[in-house]
Amino acid sequence: MTDEQKGIIENLRKAIFEYNAKLAKESATQAIEKGIDPVEAMNVMTVAIREIGDAFEKGELWLPDLVGASDAMQAASPVLEEEMKRKGLQKESLGTVVAGTVFGDIHSIGKTMVTTLLTAAGFHVEDLGVNVKAEAFIEAIQKHGADLLAMSALMTTTMAEQEKVIEALKREGIRERVKVMVGGAAVTDEFAEDIGADGFEPTAPGAVELAKKLLGRNTEERAKK
Amino acid sequence: MAVKGFVRNMKPLDVLTGEQLEEIHSATLHVLRKTGVRFDSTRALELFEKNGCRVNHDTNRVRFPEGLVEECLRKAPSRFHVRARNPENDMVWGGNTTYFQALSGMRTVDLNTWEPRTPTREEYYDAITVLDGLENVSIVPWYTPWFGFKHIPPVMAMPEGLAARLRNTSKFTCAGYSMGCELFNIQMAQAVGAELRTMMAASPPLTFYEETIDAAFRIVEAGFVLLPTSGSVYGGTAPATIAGSLVSGNAEIMAGLVFAQLVRPGTRVIAQDFSFPQNMRTGAPAFGSMEISLHQAAFNQIWHGYGIPTDGGVCYPNSKKIDYQAGYEKAIIATIGALSGTNTIWIQGALYGELAFHPVQAVIDDDIAGMLGRFLQGIEVNDETLAVGVIDEVGPIPGHYLNQPHTRKWWKKEQFIPRASDRLTHPEWLKQGKKDCIAIAKERCEQIRSCHRVSPPLTESQEQDIERIVKEARNFYRKKGLISDIEWENYQKDIASPNYPYG
Repeated sequence: MTDEQKGIIENLRKAIFEYNAKLAKESATQAIEKGIDPVEAMNVMTVAIREIGDAFEKGELWLPDLVGASDAMQAASPVLEEEMKRKGLQKESLGTVVAGTVFGDIHSIGKTMVTTLLTAAGFHVEDLGVNVKAEAFIEAIQKHGADLLAMSALMTTTMAEQEKVIEALKREGIRERVKVMVGGAAVTDEFAEDIGADGFEPTAPGAVELAKKLLGRNTEERAKK
Repeated sequence: MAVKGFVRNMKPLDVLTGEQLEEIHSATLHVLRKTGVRFDSTRALELFEKNGCRVNHDTNRVRFPEGLVEECLRKAPSRFHVRARNPENDMVWGGNTTYFQALSGMRTVDLNTWEPRTPTREEYYDAITVLDGLENVSIVPWYTPWFGFKHIPPVMAMPEGLAARLRNTSKFTCAGYSMGCELFNIQMAQAVGAELRTMMAASPPLTFYEETIDAAFRIVEAGFVLLPTSGSVYGGTAPATIAGSLVSGNAEIMAGLVFAQLVRPGTRVIAQDFSFPQNMRTGAPAFGSMEISLHQAAFNQIWHGYGIPTDGGVCYPNSKKIDYQAGYEKAIIATIGALSGTNTIWIQGALYGELAFHPVQAVIDDDIAGMLGRFLQGIEVNDETLAVGVIDEVGPIPGHYLNQPHTRKWWKKEQFIPRASDRLTHPEWLKQGKKDCIAIAKERCEQIRSCHRVSPPLTESQEQDIERIVKEARNFYRKKGLISDIEWENYQKDIASPNYPYG
């Protein structure tokens, strides 16, 4: 690797740690111009984001840091992904997630935190937004061949909607094809079990770990690849 | 590093109308002129007489002319600098700045049985380290953390305590007086280049005993800060009414202030409100009472009107345990003290009045201090904090602020994050062992104790000076017969311990 290439890789890393989306995107573009392997460039960002995640877990960093780093990564990712596609390289993904806040509930921030962190962790996420009806979830799961459905409901009055979606999955005969995780302030482990979800996590970083667990993905293994 | 006080950016809470203020002021001057104050000191009586007071040498009663009182109030500075051992911890008293200081207790408590016991030397030194490590403690005052520790004779508690504080904290500290110990306290402070604040406590009603006056002469002549205080109990040593106890207490404090200005004009004085209602069942001060807050709020308003810094936020709880009662008693008194503009709030560490202290309690209280400090700082309003540009950029949903540089820049400035509060979600809380604030504070206390070290430590020559002065005090009191044979024997064993002075 030339000094120039090393400098670009370093900038990509720095962009994540400095939550600098502009620098991340510029560095990704330069990386491709200067012939850096896009998979390698992507890995640099993945390692950086994992360090951020670890610092968050230890209480050294906070949600705005986590989201800032994720935004930087998401600014650079499409550029690198396009190059991978062009070169016929397999785009690495931990799985496809369909996510949204259920019908009747318009709380978006918790759901957005989860989708942001899932994307940063390497999942492909289809975020359907808020107030999402069961039919819309079903349609998106079928269209994108989703591995995981992530539903959010903040209020006790809308929690039950999560159960309706799971019932709809069963009716459509696709419940076995997709894992389901639920979240939101009012949700509990017990509730998740009662409605037949596969898992529940109270925090956004925890949701990423749960998603990996449900899909049998192990970060360490992926790093080795 | 310690917080350098919190600046109040809002109007103080006033509980008295202008008319009420005037009435209390006139009544105070009337008591000073008509009833007078007893001073058991020939030297003080002569000083007062020379300066125009009417003195009765049979009753030791001093009657103060209004003009003299008002002149002395003008001479006392309304804002002043005070030197700590580490210049970074120097303080500026007065104006809108509020500092938090640790509270002391006679003994420690067992955190399982809540039974009190005398702390060891090691616990004493460690607790000072914890106070040094707590961000919101600006002052580690007299008797802190405890009145003494195992194996030291009672008469040596104050010199040993000050030596321990000078060794394990570089924050501003204070010293009490008893049995002439101020002679040694002054020397120790001078040896490390620090100033001291010492109280001049009236024995209410309207009396100052000789020992108090002698100590006050020494402190004022050394050029240190004097804190006249009343220490009255309304219904016992002061009238049962809050207005009446303000009048009698303020008359005592004003007499102390006049004394200080006559001994040394310009002496830095802080007026302290250390009064409580009487618990009419036990006869003890009713620590943690709501009336304390009314009294302190009025006190802060009156003395700030005089232009004298106040020490009007003494948060002694009545609870024997680190519990809900201790929390609400401390938080309410501290809050009203802060809102009414006191310059100092005593909060970290004490339980059950002055009778117990625990460093774990101090860790919890430090969060109350931080929360109030945050409140006092108020709301910053400018183009950047109004955030119109960011609001426009984010727009309606799906926009949000978590990913905004503005959020990263501002949230930590805007939010105070308590160190010992439980702020987890219910599932996380279950997973982490259902820790409450006491459990978290225990961990933090242990972490500070084991990792924090005072900066800077005493130099070798300062340490030698401190040790020499403590030794002189020991010999002085032994010669005076104030240390018995058995006390001396136990003390000598304690001093001979290989870890001395630490424990």
